Amino acid sequence: MLVLGIETTCDETAAAIVRRHEDGRGEIVANIILSQSAEHAAYGGVVPEIAARAHVEVLDLTIAEAMVKAGTSFEALDGVAAAAGPGLIGGIIVGLTMAKAIALVVEKPLVAVNHLEAHALTARLTDAVAFPYCLFLVSGGHTQIVAVLDVGRYVRLGTTLDDAIGEAFDKTAKLLGLGYPGGPEVEREAARGEATRFALPRPMLGRDEPDFSLSGLKTALRLEAEKIAPLSDQDVADLCAAFQRAVVDVVADRVLTGLRAFRRRFGAPTALVVAGGVAVNQAIRRALETVAGMADTSLVAPPAELCTDNGAMIAWAGAERIFRGMTDTLAASPRARWPLEETLAAEKAPA
Amino acid sequence: MRILAIDTALEACAAGIIEMPDRVLAQESVAMARGHAEALMPLLARVMDQAGTGFADLDRIAVTVGPGSFTGLRVGIAAARGIALAAGKPAVGVSTLAAFAGPYLVAGETRPVVAAVDARHDQVYFEVFGPGGRILVTPRLVAVRDAVRAASAAAVIVGSGAGILAAAWPDGKPLPAIATQGAPLIASIARLGAAADVAHALPKPLYLRRPDARPQDAARLPRR
Ligand SMILES: Nc1ncnc2c1ncn2[C@@H]1O[C@H](COP(=O)(O)OP(=O)(O)OP(=O)(O)O)[C@@H](O)[C@H]1O
Repeated sequence: MLVLGIETTCDETAAAIVRRHEDGRGEIVANIILSQSAEHAAYGGVVPEIAARAHVEVLDLTIAEAMVKAGTSFEALDGVAAAAGPGLIGGIIVGLTMAKAIALVVEKPLVAVNHLEAHALTARLTDAVAFPYCLFLVSGGHTQIVAVLDVGRYVRLGTTLDDAIGEAFDKTAKLLGLGYPGGPEVEREAARGEATRFALPRPMLGRDEPDFSLSGLKTALRLEAEKIAPLSDQDVADLCAAFQRAVVDVVADRVLTGLRAFRRRFGAPTALVVAGGVAVNQAIRRALETVAGMADTSLVAPPAELCTDNGAMIAWAGAERIFRGMTDTLAASPRARWPLEETLAAEKAPA
Repeated sequence: MRILAIDTALEACAAGIIEMPDRVLAQESVAMARGHAEALMPLLARVMDQAGTGFADLDRIAVTVGPGSFTGLRVGIAAARGIALAAGKPAVGVSTLAAFAGPYLVAGETRPVVAAVDARHDQVYFEVFGPGGRILVTPRLVAVRDAVRAASAAAVIVGSGAGILAAAWPDGKPLPAIATQGAPLIASIARLGAAADVAHALPKPLYLRRPDARPQDAARLPRR
C-alpha cells in the first residue's frame, strides 16, 4: 500500500510517500521537508499568518518533489493523508484542502490524520513496535505520557499542567538571547556549561500522577539570570546546563512514574517510545534509556528527522488507518484543537 | 476550452464547469462566510458529477486569488493547485476585483468601472477599470473615503464593498450605479481564466495586506 502524507500544522511544509508492506512493515519511499524557521526567526516564534502564507506558496511543489523522488504517479497511490490538526488552522486548511483535491482527482481514500497520532505511531514505521506501548510525546506544543493500545485507542496517563518542554526550551533560549528554535541552541550551550552552579527546582518530582509542570522552573531560571545580568558567555552556558539538568531529572522521574502507571493498568508495555522534537535532545534520550531499563523495557527513539514534524509520519498514520478501513470523507474538518483521545470518536462520527 | 472555475475568496463557496465561450455545464454557489474548507470539495464532486465530466476532460482550472478572506482564498488556491497537480492540468489565478468588473467591461461600458471588496477597519480593496479592461487604478488597499473620491467619475461600483462606498457617498453628488455582490460570477471567473496566460498566471494569493506580526524582543536579558 502506497500513501502520500502531507504535514502543514506548524512551520514545516512536508510531503512524503510511505509504503506499508503486507506484513505490516513500513518503508519511507520519499520524505521532503521545507522548513520556514528562517521566516519566523525574527519574530522569536511561529507567526500563524506567515506560516499559512508560506505553506500555500510551496506545498504543491513539495508534493511534486516527493512524487518525483519516489518515482511514482498519483494513480499508483492507495490513499492520501493530511494532518488535519491539532495545530495552526491556516496551515492545516492548506494541507488538508490540497490532500482532498488530490484524493478527489485520483479517486482514492482520504485520511484526515491527527498530528499527535502520527507522532505516536512513528515507532511502528521505524521499528515495527507492537501494541501496547508507552509513548512519551515531547515537543514544542505537547508533553504527554500516553498508553498506545491500538490505532485510534490512546489513553493519556499524564500531561503538562502549563508549558510544554519544547516551549520551555524555546523561552529559555529567548530569555538568554539565543537563536530560534531554542532547543538545539540550549542543548549546545549546556554542553559547555556547569550544571551545578545554579540551584533550580524540579517541579512535580515524586508526585503519584505522571504529570509535568514547567512554569516554576522557567521562573526560577529567569530570577537566577536576572540576578547576575548582564550575562557573560559562561553565565549563559551555565544557566543552560542547569536548566537542561533540571528538565532531565524531571523527565526521568515523571516518565518512570508513567511507566509504572502503565503497568498497573495495561500490563507490561512492549517499549517506551519517545516522539516529538525534544526527543532529539541527547541528554533527555540518555535519561529515557536509563528509565526504560529501570522499568524492564527498552527505549525506542525514531531518528531525529522523524521526531520533528514530517510528512512520513502522516503518510504512515494514513496507511495504518486505511489498512483498518478508517477513512474520512471529503468534508473532513480542519481542527486547531484535537486531543489524541478523540481520534476514534472523530472517526466514528458521521462527517 | 473546458474550464473548472472555483471561488472561495469572499462570501460564497462556488464552482462551475464552463465550456467556453459561455456554455455552463454545471455550477453551484452556496453563500457562506466561513466553512469553505469543509464545503468546497463535496461541492466540487457534485459539480463534476452533474457536468458529467472528468478531470481529464478539463483544459484548465481557474481560481480567484483575492483580494478577499485570507483563509478563504487559500482554500480555493490549495484546491486548484492540488487538482492541477494531480490531474496534470494548468491552473490560473483570477483577481476577485477583475472578476467583479468583468461583465461590465465585456458589455462595453465606456466610463470607469470601480470594483471594491470590504477590507474592514474602514478600508476597501479597490481597483478601477477603463474601457476594454484598461487598468486606471491598480489593485490596492485604501481608506473608504479615498476610494469614494477616486470613484467619483464611475459608471458603476461593483463588488462586496460597493455598498460601503455608497454609504459613504457625499450628499449632493450623483451616485454611480451600485451593484453589491457577495462574490463574483463563476462565468466571469471562467472568462478571465480562459484569457489568462498559463505561463504567468500561476494562482498565488493577492492579499494586498501584510500579515499582522511584530518582531518580539520582550523578555531578553542583556549580555555582556
Ligand atoms: N536538541 C533539543 N533539545 C531540546 N528541545 C529541542 C531540541 N531540538 C528541538 N527541540 C524543541 O522541539 C520543539 C519542536 O518540536 P516539533 O517540531 O516536534 O514540535 P512542534 O511543531 O513545536 O509542536 P507539536 O508537534 O506539538 O505541534 C521546539 O520547541 C524545539 O525547541
